[in-house]
Amino acid sequence: MTQPVSIIMIEDDEGHARLIERNIRRSGVNNEIVPFTNGTDAMKHLFGADGSGLVQKGNALLILLDLNLPDMTGINILKQIKENKYLKASPVVVLTTTDDSQEIKRCYELGCNVYITKPVNYENFANAIRQLGLFFSVIQVPPAAT
Amino acid sequence: MTAAAQRRRATWQILLFSAGLLVLTVISAGSVYLVNKARDDNAWVVHTIEVENQVNSLLLEVRRAESGARGYLLTNGPEFLSDHQKAVAEIIPALDKLTRLVGDNPVQRDGIERLSAAIEARLGQFGQEVDLVRQGQPERATAMVREAAAQNVTATIRQIADGMMREEERLFRLRSANSDRSQTLAASMTGIGSGLVVVLALISIFLVRRSARARDDAEARLRDANVNLEAVVDERTADLREANNEIQRFAYIVSHDLRSPLVNIMGFTSELEELGGDIFRRIGGLSHVAADGPPLASGEIALEGPDKQLSADFSEALGFIKSSIAKMDRLISAILHLTREGRREFEPEKIDTREFVTTVVSTLAHQAAEAHATIQVEPLPNIISDRLALEQIFSNLIDNAIKYLRDGVAGEIRIRGRTKLGYAIFEISDNGRGIDPKDHQRIFDLFRRAGLQDRPGQGIGLAHVRALVRRLGGTMSVSSELNAGSTFTITLPITWNASNRNAE
Repeated sequence: MTQPVSIIMIEDDEGHARLIERNIRRSGVNNEIVPFTNGTDAMKHLFGADGSGLVQKGNALLILLDLNLPDMTGINILKQIKENKYLKASPVVVLTTTDDSQEIKRCYELGCNVYITKPVNYENFANAIRQLGLFFSVIQVPPAAT
Repeated sequence: MTAAAQRRRATWQILLFSAGLLVLTVISAGSVYLVNKARDDNAWVVHTIEVENQVNSLLLEVRRAESGARGYLLTNGPEFLSDHQKAVAEIIPALDKLTRLVGDNPVQRDGIERLSAAIEARLGQFGQEVDLVRQGQPERATAMVREAAAQNVTATIRQIADGMMREEERLFRLRSANSDRSQTLAASMTGIGSGLVVVLALISIFLVRRSARARDDAEARLRDANVNLEAVVDERTADLREANNEIQRFAYIVSHDLRSPLVNIMGFTSELEELGGDIFRRIGGLSHVAADGPPLASGEIALEGPDKQLSADFSEALGFIKSSIAKMDRLISAILHLTREGRREFEPEKIDTREFVTTVVSTLAHQAAEAHATIQVEPLPNIISDRLALEQIFSNLIDNAIKYLRDGVAGEIRIRGRTKLGYAIFEISDNGRGIDPKDHQRIFDLFRRAGLQDRPGQGIGLAHVRALVRRLGGTMSVSSELNAGSTFTITLPITWNASNRNAE
């Protein structure tokens, strides 16, 4: 990546988070990965204490989002990111266990950029994440302010 | 109202009716009898009066005869003689008649005998008197009259007649009293009977009104019960629907949440496997170097002895873990799939069933050819239903029929259809290996299979098909014997609409 892009990983399952991180690293991505295990902390980080999103102004973010969180749904977070004027340009990758077509459709409608279903088969899982990492290494991410 | 009470009331009504009939009969019979008796009594009264009249007229004729005889004696006028003779001619028949009339009464018979004797004596005297006058001897006739007066025969006659009259008077009183009594009796009998009938009628009316009221009450209760029943059915249906939805949500969430840890288990197992590979490679490398020599370049170095055994055990354990996880993943996926199907909205459309099934069969033609099976689609009734659901139902059942044929027997699969009372009935029958009757229920359960386990499968197909058939408002059954083929019967409403089932 041309700019120091931080990857915000919102994933309630620490095991998953670890596996994702490992496989991203294996694909040669060395960007900072900021992990969150619940929606509230992630929201606070993304939107700041005032909830305006001003804190992220000028930062280039890439958001990895799980839909099943203990305190809120990922769809809700996705919606708020895409409605926020500072964050809406940041790419959001939904990485979740759900392969329900309704949910996939809804996420794309809300502005999600990539939707990936976590394969249970680990080879496929590792493969998918590594390819995602390769994708990360070539993607252009705009800074969060306009 | 209990059955016993109803029976009692019916018995009462029959009893009342019988009693009324009995009373009427008794009154009728009694009335006929009493009226007859009153008529008889009246006849006797009339008879008595007749007797009295007859006695009086007899006495009158005797007087007339006497006065005629006297007139003739005094005046010698022929008109008096004819008068006398006419009266005498009347006396005998009158006496005969009187004798007939009082023939039934011994007292009066006795009186009449005496009366006849007296009258005959008197008539004899008259005859002598008249004869003497005719012969021109009026003195002797006068003497005879005097003699007759002295004998007082006329007085005797009157006396006897008076006696008879008294007897008749007595009889008259007696018979009048009898007649009165009969009439009073008849009147009171009719009166009492009518009263009784009126009372019975009133009781009957009361009972009829009471039973009518009871019937009205029962009807009202029945109506209420019907209304209630519908409400209860609606309520239960809503409850069931809610429970079903709850289970759907539950299954979805559970299977979904089960998947997450599975990813971890699988992921870290793979990591562990890799790690294990690294460790055993290092062990192999280390065991082959000389004590002070440099480590060998990493590469494929065969392990030996106990190290090899350890490596094999390690791989075996990981292999079991991974295959179990894979299986668990398949099961969870199946549950997810089923619950997702359960939540899908149906879109009913008109389906040319025969053409539709033929299409389904053509997609399975390859498998059928491989199994040497022929599939016959007979004419099928058209229905309005969800195309996707029907496709899954038919393709699952036909696929099963192809899958479980008997080895060495050419497969014959037949799809038949007919309609009955707003339902279309489809039968998919084969000549395959069949299903033991004890497994007929089991094969519809999720993850359960029956018979020889020589074909791949998860035990999901029939559970899925049955769930779909139920959601389409239909039923499904199987009839089969081991080694004698199976017939799956599906009954579906000809026109599916959301109210059939699962309207949400």
